[in-house]
This record gives sequence, structure tokens and C-alpha cells, in this order.
Amino acid sequence: MDDVLSAIPGPARPLDVPTPPRVLVADDEDDIRALVCLAVTRAGGAVVGAVADGTTALAAARSDLPDLAVLDVSMPGATGLEVCMALRGDPATAGIRVLLLSAGASPDDVARGLAAGADAYLAKPFQVAALVQRIRALTAGQLA
Amino acid sequence: MTVAATTGGTAALRPRAPRFAVFARALPATAMFAAASLALAVGLLPVADPELVAAGLATAFLAGGVAGLVDRTPATRSGALVVPCAQFAAVALLCAGTGSVAVLFLLLGPVLALITAPGRRGVPVAVAGTAATLLLPGLLTSGAGLPVADSAALLLGPLAVGLGGLAVHDTSRRLARQAAVIERLETDRAGLLAQVRTRADELDVATRMLAARAQTMTSVIDAVTEQSIIGTDRDGVVRVWNPGAERMLGLPRTDVVRKRSIVEFHLAEELAEIAAEAGTEAGLAALVHAAQERGSDVRDWTYVAADGQRRTVAVAVTPRTDDRGVHAGWNFVGTDMTEARATERMKDQFVSLISHELRTPLSSILGYLELVMDPDSEPLTDEQRQYLTTVERNAQRLLRLVGDLLFTAQVEAGRFTLQPEDVDLAAVLRASEESVRVTAATAGVQVTVDVPDEALVVPGDAVRLGQACDNLLSNAVKFTPSGGRVELSLRAAWRLPDGEICEDEHPGAEPVARLAVRDTGMGIPAGEQGQMFTRFFRASTAQRNAVPGVGLGLSITKAITTAHGGTLDLESAEGEGTTFTITLPCSARHRDHPASLR
Repeated sequence: MDDVLSAIPGPARPLDVPTPPRVLVADDEDDIRALVCLAVTRAGGAVVGAVADGTTALAAARSDLPDLAVLDVSMPGATGLEVCMALRGDPATAGIRVLLLSAGASPDDVARGLAAGADAYLAKPFQVAALVQRIRALTAGQLA
Repeated sequence: MTVAATTGGTAALRPRAPRFAVFARALPATAMFAAASLALAVGLLPVADPELVAAGLATAFLAGGVAGLVDRTPATRSGALVVPCAQFAAVALLCAGTGSVAVLFLLLGPVLALITAPGRRGVPVAVAGTAATLLLPGLLTSGAGLPVADSAALLLGPLAVGLGGLAVHDTSRRLARQAAVIERLETDRAGLLAQVRTRADELDVATRMLAARAQTMTSVIDAVTEQSIIGTDRDGVVRVWNPGAERMLGLPRTDVVRKRSIVEFHLAEELAEIAAEAGTEAGLAALVHAAQERGSDVRDWTYVAADGQRRTVAVAVTPRTDDRGVHAGWNFVGTDMTEARATERMKDQFVSLISHELRTPLSSILGYLELVMDPDSEPLTDEQRQYLTTVERNAQRLLRLVGDLLFTAQVEAGRFTLQPEDVDLAAVLRASEESVRVTAATAGVQVTVDVPDEALVVPGDAVRLGQACDNLLSNAVKFTPSGGRVELSLRAAWRLPDGEICEDEHPGAEPVARLAVRDTGMGIPAGEQGQMFTRFFRASTAQRNAVPGVGLGLSITKAITTAHGGTLDLESAEGEGTTFTITLPCSARHRDHPASLR
């Protein structure tokens, strides 16, 4: 994954521009995780953590306090929904934006994700451009 | 009641006169005159005056002959008196002619004939006749040698005849009446006996029919070995327990019937849970609550067998009534769904697995393809771009297939939901045409769209309706050879209560939208058209012509149409083409304002 990340040139960051939004990525699929990290970079964000399970994702979110957490729903340890609910239940992390990614594309799946407290829900397979757009929208405050 | 009716009227009891009554009554007297003739002939009786004797005998036998004639005349009652009177005269002549008192025994003949005749008027005639007979010999012989000259005899003889006659007459009348009653009772008894025999036969037949029916029912219930049939009384005590119940719950009939309650075979927690939901007491009330309200109820319950094993059983609960229609208990017919439910769970898990395991790698494939083919990335050669376009197309095809499989599984599991909104079908058709335009052009198929200018709105799920339209259109393009045509059309129409579709508005008709996809393709053989909406079925023409596909599109389209309250119809002729028509009910605004459809 690091190889993939290093192969993608990031946007130019002059010293006077604000700090890019900090994004935590959690997905148990290495390829998808790397793809999401690329999208974060393309959206002008900075990946503060790329983890493969829900438990680590929750710990990373609590320690790093990212601006946005992109979480896969089906993960070992804790599902994306559980991580999302845990973040919302903790005042320290309740403000973290959450974007859920899932192979479940039915209206019920989307409804469950939003009910868990997610700010957005994207079904797999997703278009990278759509993911980039969604990340930008969710981190608009930080980019402004 | 019958007896009272038959004895109630005198006329009904009066014995009918026999056909030869007068002759029969005169016969004893005639016989006695014959005996007297014999006695005269042999000298047992003296002959004082032969002329009077001869006149007496002649009168006697003449009276006997007249008796036979009287029976044949209408004046039988009057004639009945003439014959005894003549016989009295004969006795008087014989008495005078013989001068013997013994001849008076001949009086018995006419006297008996008169007092046994119908009616009482024979009695005074007998008294008068007797008196005359006793008196007449004296007159005929001028008082000389009178056999009966005693005035006491003249008085007592008729008196005795009168009293005796009345007594005999009344007795004979009473006897006749009793005989008539007995005869009637005999007739009634015979009738009643015949009725009893008939009823007994009918009862016997009915009893045998009931026994046969009961035997049939028992054998049918006993033949059910894969379903439990349990009948209870109103308190839930088991009364019927078939072999299916024995097999499912592991207890023989003898251990259960009249000894156990149906509730004992249910999971207590489950009954308590349902009772809490329904607001009833836990136990039988929870079990039958829904059936009591709706007349029947079918749902999954957990049966606990004798060995403690739990089984998921779909139980149909219905109330049972007795022969008077009074509620008598409950019937519980159960089908073991343990394996089926386990299979359904496995299928759900499989669908979930497919969803994740296929869509996730497809996410990677499509995502990285997008990055590689991004115009901002390293430029590709035309050949590389062509190869990658092929990869992307097939990845998208695989994605559609996964989507179709998932959707089919959802439909089958009954978890297919719609996101209802007002959908403009014209826009849906245009979008479908646009999506197929490139493919059709490549295949050399001309696609035309004919939609009304005004919006034709139906209530439904825009995504699913688009999917249905896409399926029909992509099928039409796939099955139409180069140079052919595909026509997409949308029309407002009216559906009559009997289901018939017409183009003009009719009273009672509902507005509908008719979406048709007509092609000039290879068509579907007539024998296969009925199976076209079956999952994974592919027409032989599709297989012969190697048209790609797995046979899910039409079944999905049918499911979507049905879920929208519509119908999907097919018309096809092999070698000429096929038309699929979706008919959907229009939205309320078209129903409320039919003019909007014109």
C-alpha cells in the first residue's frame, strides 16, 4: 500500500495553505484501502492512518482525532457501523465526520448506515471520482 | 292420534253391508224351513191342513228366493224387511197347517235376520212379526185347535223377542264397531310397522355411511405422516393426535390424547412473548388469539419434542365447531420448517457472502481501471485503451450479473422493497434508450422512441422501473439482428374492471400506462413463451444464436412490474419479432384528472 501511495503524486502544498484535512481510512481489503487512500490524496486530504480492522480504527480515531473517518462496514473486530456508533457516543470523537463504504447497496443497508450516525454512505463498487467528490464535500470546512 | 281419528265418527265405524247381506241373513231361516219340510215329509210333524202347510212352505221358499233378488236391487233396506215378514207369514201358515207348537222354532230364522240387520227398525218388525205369527194361526183356523191360544204367550213371546232382539242388536252393533276399530288398528299397526322397518333401514344405512365417513377421515388423518394434525378441546386438551404429530413430537397417541395440553409442546418463552404482544394470558390464549380474531392464523411456532428437541413448525390454527355449530376446540396443523428455515438462513448468508466477496474485488478492478484510464494519468496507447475498455465492460457486466443475482435472491426471500415516488415513465424510457444507444448502433439495430409530450406519471421506484425498462430494451437489441428495428413506445390507456385494456375512457375504468418494447428479432417459440419469466430459463433461439445472458432479466422485470401492481405481457412470433408490454396503474393525479392523459 505504501508503494501505491508513494507512486501517486500529491497536490502541491505551499507553506501558506491551511493544513489539509486529516483522514483515517479503515478497510480490511488491502487493495480497497489503498484505493481509498489514493482518493483521499486526490481530494486534498492527508491520510493519518490506514488500518484493517474496526478495533484498531476506533483506537486510531480516539488517538488521532481525524477530521474524517472513511470506514468499511464489514470489518473484523468491529464493523464500520459499530465504530461509527462508538465515535458518536463519545463526546471527544462525536465531531468526526464518517463516510461508510459497503458492499451492501440496498436501501435498507444505506438506512442502517445513516441510522448509525454516518454522514455519508457509498456502495461498492464506487467510482473513484465519486469518492473523491464525497471526501471533498465532507471536509469542505477544513479545506476552506 | 291415529286411533282417535278412526274412532271419532259413527259413520266411519258403521260396518258396510256385505254384498249378499239379505240373502245371507235369510239363509238360516230357509235352512230351517227345509228341515221342517223334511220333518213333515217323514211324519215327525203332523199335517192338519195340507193346503195351509203347502202355502206355508211355498211362502218360505219364495221368501228365500226373493232374498237373493233383493240383494241385487237398489231398495235393499226395504227388501230386507220383506223377506223376514214373508217368513213370519210362512211360519204362521205352517203353524196353522200342522197345528203344532213345535213349528214355532222356525220363528228364530226371521227374528234373527231382523235383529241382526243394520239399524234398530228390524226389532219392532220382529216383535210385530212374532205377535202376528202367534195370532194368525188362530185366525186362520177360526179359533179351533189353536196351537197358541194363551194370551200370556201372545204377550210374552213378542216381549221376549223385543227385549232379546234389542240386546242382540246392541251387542252385535258393539261387536261390529269393535271389529271395525280392530280392523282399523290392524291397518294402522301394519302401516306403522312398515314405517318402523323403513326408518330402521334408513338408520342402518346412515349409520354405515357415518361409520364409513369416520373411517375415511381417520385413514386420511393417519395417512398424514409429514404434518402434525392436533385437535384439542376448548381448554387445549389434546383429542386428536395423528402419526405426523407422533413423529414430530416423539409421543404415541395413547400417551397424549385426553392427557396432555397442546401448550405443553410449545416453548413457554415464545408463548409469553406473543401473549405480551397480543395482551393476552400466556398459554392457550396466546396460541389461538390471532385465529380467534381472524378465523385462522398461520405462523412459525417452536415445538418442543418429548426428547427436548426444538423444531420450527409453521402451524395453521383454526377453530373447530361441533355438529350444532358451537365452538368445540381448536385444530393445529403443523409443517416442520426446521430444515427449510435453516436453508433460508444459509441462503441469506450465501447472498451476503456473494455480495461482499464479488463486489469487493469488482470495486478494486473498476476503481483502478478508472485511475488508469483517467485522462490526467499517464497517456495510454489506443491499443491499451481498447483492451482496458474491454476489461471495464466485462467488469461492469459481471457487476450487473451480481446485482441481478442479489436482486433475485431478495425477491425470492420477500425482502424486495420499493422506494415509492412519482415517476415520469417518458423520462425513464428516454434514459433507457440513451443507455442502449451505443450498443444498438454497434449492433446495427435502429432504436426509435415514441413517447407523449406530456409527462405520464406512475407511482413507483424510479431505479427499479428504469432497471425493468433497461432489461427489456437491452434484450430487444441483443435478440435483433443487424438491420432490424426496436421500437419503444409509451401510451396512456384504460383498464376495465375485467382487466381488458382499451384506449378510450370508460366509466369504472382505471387509467394505466402502457410501455411497449417491440423488436423485429428472432422471436420466441410458442411452446417456450410461458416459461420466459422463469428464473434462469433461456429460449432455444437464444441458445442457438449464442446470445449472451443467464436468464434473469425477464424474471426480474416481471418481479418489478408485479411489485408495482402492474402486468408484463408477451407477444411473439418466431422469426418475426417480440413485443413486451408493461402495464402500470397511473398516479393519483391522472386518476383525479383524466384529462391529463389526453
